[in-house]
Amino acid sequence: MTAHDMPKAPVIAEVRDLRVQFDSKRGNVHAVDGVGFQIRDGEMLGLVGETGCGKSVTGRAFLNLIPRPPAKIAGGRVLFRPRGGAPCPDCAGEGCEACGRTGTETVDLLTLPPKPMRAIRGARIAMIFQDPGKALNPTLTIGAQLAEVFLQHRSEALLAEAGVSPEETGWQANALRRMAREEDRWLDRRLKGLPPLSSAAAKLDAALDAHVAAALAETQIPNPARVMRAYPHELSGGMRQRVMIAQALACDPDLIIADEPTTALDVTIQARILDLIKTLQRKRRTSVLYISHDLSLVRRVCDRVAVMYAGRIAEIGTVAQVFADPRHPYTQGLIAAVPRAGTGRGHLASIPGSVPELVDPPPGCRFADRCAHVMAECTRANPVAREVAPGHQSVCFLEKTGQTAAPATSEASTT
Amino acid sequence: MQLRDYIVRRLMILPVLIFGVSIVVFALTRIGGSPIGVYLSHEMNADEVAALEERFHLNEPLVVQYWYWLKGALSGDFGYSGVASAPVSEVFWPKFAATMELSVFSAIVAVWLGLWLGVFAGTRRNRWQDHLTRVVAVSGASLPLFWFGIVLLIVFWANLGWFPVGRSTADLWASIPHPTGFYTLDAILAGNVQAFLDALWHLFLPSITLGFGAVAIITRMMRSALVEELQQDYVDAARAKGLPERLVLKRHARRNALVPTITVIGLTIAFLMQGAIAAEIIYRWPGLGRWMADAVVRGDQATIMTYVLFTSVLFLFANLIVDIIYAKLDPRVRLGD
Repeated sequence: MTAHDMPKAPVIAEVRDLRVQFDSKRGNVHAVDGVGFQIRDGEMLGLVGETGCGKSVTGRAFLNLIPRPPAKIAGGRVLFRPRGGAPCPDCAGEGCEACGRTGTETVDLLTLPPKPMRAIRGARIAMIFQDPGKALNPTLTIGAQLAEVFLQHRSEALLAEAGVSPEETGWQANALRRMAREEDRWLDRRLKGLPPLSSAAAKLDAALDAHVAAALAETQIPNPARVMRAYPHELSGGMRQRVMIAQALACDPDLIIADEPTTALDVTIQARILDLIKTLQRKRRTSVLYISHDLSLVRRVCDRVAVMYAGRIAEIGTVAQVFADPRHPYTQGLIAAVPRAGTGRGHLASIPGSVPELVDPPPGCRFADRCAHVMAECTRANPVAREVAPGHQSVCFLEKTGQTAAPATSEASTT
Repeated sequence: MQLRDYIVRRLMILPVLIFGVSIVVFALTRIGGSPIGVYLSHEMNADEVAALEERFHLNEPLVVQYWYWLKGALSGDFGYSGVASAPVSEVFWPKFAATMELSVFSAIVAVWLGLWLGVFAGTRRNRWQDHLTRVVAVSGASLPLFWFGIVLLIVFWANLGWFPVGRSTADLWASIPHPTGFYTLDAILAGNVQAFLDALWHLFLPSITLGFGAVAIITRMMRSALVEELQQDYVDAARAKGLPERLVLKRHARRNALVPTITVIGLTIAFLMQGAIAAEIIYRWPGLGRWMADAVVRGDQATIMTYVLFTSVLFLFANLIVDIIYAKLDPRVRLGD
């Protein structure tokens, strides 16, 4: 997918005015304060910002994995429109405001009940975590951990491969069904190895192993059969991240949240993992929200980029727009801070000051006290997003001359 | 190394360890002086004392004395108990079995209840259920066993009359054979349901008294381990895969929280063996309790040595079991070298 045919792709997920606050002893921390952006089908959106700017919390909102308490959702919606989803119940597929004129059912991931949420997690939206050494359970084999995804979301396919037809009844078929759905009871596990059940259970295990091995092979892991039996601590960091990627891609999701997937890895491995993610994303046309603090990585792999600062979006646009013509002073500072081959010794640029406290913040632009272009209104009111070019918005008072005054919390005007 | 090889190797080392323990126990007991005192009476003259010393080889060097003791112990003769006025080997087993039955039963209750309460509190962190569990745990750790036991005795035996004291109802006990000395096991072997229930009924109060402190320790350990595991990334990763909370807890967090808790459970076994002596005296449990208390006061070394030796062997086995469970739970534990 190239940058200019992007607007044609339907919006698959959208964050609207997301506000997440954390209770702390010193007050209410506004970790995410009115963030809004859209992710289109098949695109890779980079979410860039410093540590603590709220990018990880925003990413976790897609899986409803924000720990509540201590966090609370103070407002906003995270909308998701799965590929090939059911028709919109409001307009019966006609296209209305609720479904963004797509005719496909749109769900709010923040208010979805646990059961449908679980059906989305791992199947329609998956996550790659920052540190694969911590995100894999140290006491379970790689195979067992990957198998969980298939057992949760592909149990019908597994049963079919094991030769259990949906019509079949009787205690044996029911026991196998419980095994394939991870609802097995104590007695099922005892009977699993015994004759009437053992051959079908072995077929089920074989089908599961085949799925797991195929998923591992997809991420170019050599010798999947051996890796399946290994424990996380027996693998290298890069190998573990390949396992995480295989796990995320296992059920062919529509959206992958990649939360700094290369940060914990050796520099030599980073590029290879990044290329792997990009290759698999192109091949499957999966949408990816790529969370990173590294501008150069985002520039390399993403189609569009959203720059976050202190819980808010500062600037959003295509990679070409943002890097060629950064409009927000923070983005300009960030890009200037990346050292280039030509940068002379002792000339590393930086943005003066530090990230503000997010405990009960006053109104106004969060970047005001570090900004070289600060004006009187910057500390009085919150800036709104202004369109500087089609699909390129900057949330800054400097853009007063902008044609469209789209609200900071929505991208609706860009469609 | 395979787990099976490891177990075989540990079992092969066990006799060597027991031999070492016996030397240490023998030496430590002898620090208290000659064991002759408990066998003497006021009417004896010097010649009679010398004859007694000669009979028990107490006039020989310490190493030779140890040799005689070891020879006897290997053939099942653990000496003569001055307190019980009988050979140790005759009196020891039934009493030891009674103490073991109480300790094992308390351990089972304490481990089960402690783990359950720990999970209950850990999954409801900082809610009222957690605070309530903390009250139980703190009181369990701080109430002295003898005091708590007496309170239970006054309320449930003296006032309400719901539970008995002692080990059994005499005629039920007499109605079945006792091949193992464990009343519950003997009742099962005899197929006597009434005797089995009688055994449980008698076990109830003493094992609660004895297990309460252990419940407290296990609960607190399990709770903090679970709280820590629940904050790990892999728990969120499991949720991100779409696992129901039931499996996130059972297969991921709870299982990993058991690893540190198992170590504490192993140590608790020693705690129970100590506490058993007090609990037995309170509930007139016919175990080693009173015998051991008298033996220590009167310097009955044959009895003390036998008790310490058997307890050490039990402890060695408990540790072996803990290590095996440890290796089973955590693949990162390296077996052997």
